[in-house]
Amino acid sequence: MQYREFDITIAPDGTVELHVKGYKGKSCLEAMKVFAQIVGEVKSRRETSEFYEPDEQVQYRIEQKGT
Amino acid sequence: MSCVCILTPVVIAAWPAFSAAVVAAASSLGYELVSDKARKAEEAVDIEKSVRLDLAQSELVTDQLGRDQRLSVTRDGVTITFSRDERGRAALCVAGTGQDEATLRALGEELGHRVVQQYVYQKLMEEMRSRQFVVVDEEVDENHAIRLKVRHWN
Repeated sequence: MQYREFDITIAPDGTVELHVKGYKGKSCLEAMKVFAQIVGEVKSRRETSEFYEPDEQVQYRIEQKGT
Repeated sequence: MSCVCILTPVVIAAWPAFSAAVVAAASSLGYELVSDKARKAEEAVDIEKSVRLDLAQSELVTDQLGRDQRLSVTRDGVTITFSRDERGRAALCVAGTGQDEATLRALGEELGHRVVQQYVYQKLMEEMRSRQFVVVDEEVDENHAIRLKVRHWN
């Protein structure tokens, strides 16, 4: 079963740094929104290289074989 | 990693949740709770200096209009009283004898920040539990930051 991992650091002044791991593409933004709703407001955001990979989707490629 | 973000806390809480955060924060900094009776006795005595602060980005929600909601903690001759101001924000009054205004302000800011940290921590833990997130590791580092490693299974 697949899991997603989050590293959360709550600074002494209450500011939260959140690392969202294991998502590809923009799906991590949805996870980030959940935490933003709980904590408060997004002050800044930085995407990593995984963010620019294709969004997680199931893709089918159909090839027609010659007869 | 997919993305990294910084979240600014907004404290919107009912008094019981807020006072729980105050108690936890005060305890972590070595403050003790002051009973209502002792607080009223202290208020009757002349305090040399006091500084008033408020927690920005805070709103204390209450349906108990007119009820005196105050919580005081004390350490080394300094008493910090938390209350809800007329705008609904969390306010702190830092009073002491023998300390200058800058020291009182610094103490108030330190405790105020720690209260926000505890509020965010308690709210995160409660919400993550309800959404079936699992905390696999938790520690407080040397800078007093709380570090959590959390997993969520699909």
